[in-house]
Amino acid sequence: MPDFSLSPEQVSLVDLARKFARTVMAPQAAECDRTGRFPEEIYRKAFDAGLVNLNVPQEYGGSGLSLLDQCLIVEELAYACAGMTTSIIANCLALEPILLGGTVEQRERFLKPFCAKYQLASFCLTEPTGGSDAGALRTRATRDGSDYLLDGEKCFITNAPHASLYTVFATVDPSQRHRGITAFVVPRSTPGITPGPDEEKMGHRASSTSTIRFEQVRVPAENRLGAEGEGFALAMRTLDQTRTPIGALATGIAQAALDHAARYALQRRSFGRPIAEHQAIQIKLANMVQRVRAARLLTWQAAAAIDAGARGTLESSIAKCFASDTAMEVADEAIQTFGGYGYMKSYPVEKLLRDAKLTQIYEGANEIQRLVIARELLATYA
Amino acid sequence: MEVVVLIKPVPEAETRLRPSADGRRWDEEGVKFVLAGYDESAVEQALLLKESAPGTTVRALSLGPAPRTEEVLRSALALGCDRASWIEAPAEALGDPVGVARALAAFLRREPIGLVIAGKQSLDEESGVVPLALAAMLGVPGFGGVTNLRWSTAGGVTFDRVLADSVESWESSVPIVIGLQQAWNDPRTAKLPNILKSRRLPIERVAIGDLAGEHPSDARIERFRFQLPSPRTGAKIIDGQTPDEVAEKLVRLLRDEAHVLP
Repeated sequence: MPDFSLSPEQVSLVDLARKFARTVMAPQAAECDRTGRFPEEIYRKAFDAGLVNLNVPQEYGGSGLSLLDQCLIVEELAYACAGMTTSIIANCLALEPILLGGTVEQRERFLKPFCAKYQLASFCLTEPTGGSDAGALRTRATRDGSDYLLDGEKCFITNAPHASLYTVFATVDPSQRHRGITAFVVPRSTPGITPGPDEEKMGHRASSTSTIRFEQVRVPAENRLGAEGEGFALAMRTLDQTRTPIGALATGIAQAALDHAARYALQRRSFGRPIAEHQAIQIKLANMVQRVRAARLLTWQAAAAIDAGARGTLESSIAKCFASDTAMEVADEAIQTFGGYGYMKSYPVEKLLRDAKLTQIYEGANEIQRLVIARELLATYA
Repeated sequence: MEVVVLIKPVPEAETRLRPSADGRRWDEEGVKFVLAGYDESAVEQALLLKESAPGTTVRALSLGPAPRTEEVLRSALALGCDRASWIEAPAEALGDPVGVARALAAFLRREPIGLVIAGKQSLDEESGVVPLALAAMLGVPGFGGVTNLRWSTAGGVTFDRVLADSVESWESSVPIVIGLQQAWNDPRTAKLPNILKSRRLPIERVAIGDLAGEHPSDARIERFRFQLPSPRTGAKIIDGQTPDEVAEKLVRLLRDEAHVLP
């Protein structure tokens, strides 16, 4: 029987994240949501507290946390603001290919100086013509002596205008589809890189998302991660690691929605009593708490499996898919519990629904997660 | 010099206390204990003193049961304290502030005493007795309600005490026990790598029974009932279309119903 209790060390990590989330992030969340401001001062404070490069080993200047410990922190941060959390954990996604596919020399060269001070990095995979079909990407990497020239455009790139380092996936030969994709580490200072303006988004408005254009961007071959053609597998292995924290992020949104709904239900009165005494509301809350707890346990299970050395593709896809669907459902029911007030921007729950929606789409749309889940499931029966 | 900072695990601020089954104290089941309030500011003050004078070290000292006492000491280590000492004692021992001061005095007497600082009172019991009782038992000066504590050029300390209509500035040699006023500093937050490091640092442990002349059963006082204040009733929300209308209704209520206006 597994022990679901947290160690004293994990409790202190949760305490740190909760304190940061509630005292630094939460007070700015509504304003950033309204204006779309990118609160860089908060991300800088998150870096100072050690909450940014969670997955990078301490020898390279990161926090070196297990995936489960990362998930504990991400849930707490997302409870206060999912958009800020997306920007805070974008470094984990962008740096993971260097951790998984970089040589010792590359890790030293890129990670150490990068993690020594506050900086952001972006993971550049998705393109305007397709996200889920990553094998069809069009950004070209053309060999030129000992360098490559990158040409193409990426879109929906988190933190792109603010990042100083990019991990870019490009193809050395489009006719080879997946087998042509190659990963590169590209410093922002390289000529030919143009991030686009911030996109106006439905949710996650404290996060920055934009296109980024690469025009004749000269990248030395020593910045290539792995061999030519190994980029697709590297991207997939990266997402196997980073998908689970998205489950934690979605769980944080769902827990916030549940807490708001339960507190409101105890305080709001109708027909002479608090609405929490009406069975219609009790059933909603009972369903919500079941989903939230199941999402958390699936996330913890996936993280623990990966920490124990499993690839965890099935577990992380289940966690991400279930938790993000939970966030949508619970945020939706929280709004319904609030009634008309829930639809108003002066109350906190409509933001949660807008934020929850993205968790069903990014880091692998839930349709793709279900394909992966079915494929992994059926393989165990074949 | 070593600065000793006294800390105590207290219930998290959002805790809803409930009376225990025997009605004698509050129920500790499910309560999360943390380093908070005056104690958090005291640790911050100790660290500021450390940073202002090379060679200063900070030791956190706490008395109480496992696991909460170890946890607040680890919090203090994560914030930057150099050492931590834990007088292991049952939770009941915390109900007698003079007994706590006796145990702390017995512990501190084992080594030369320098500067001892504490919050002016704990966030849960708020008795405010320990720092001054400890000073009396150690036979050294003791001050409560202190702000602006600094090292003096003479090797002692200077500090302020804010009174109702004045501010006094004092200078003292050490040893001295200081009870600090909260909220004049902005306590730092522990950084994640320091939290991880603090888990591996040793904590000195002494059982309260092993301190000279100290026994947990020495307590001469006993709490026999714990009650929550009854909920306040009679709040009234004044409706109105304009601030003027609300103000007019408020004045009428204060005059005609509350009779506090002529």
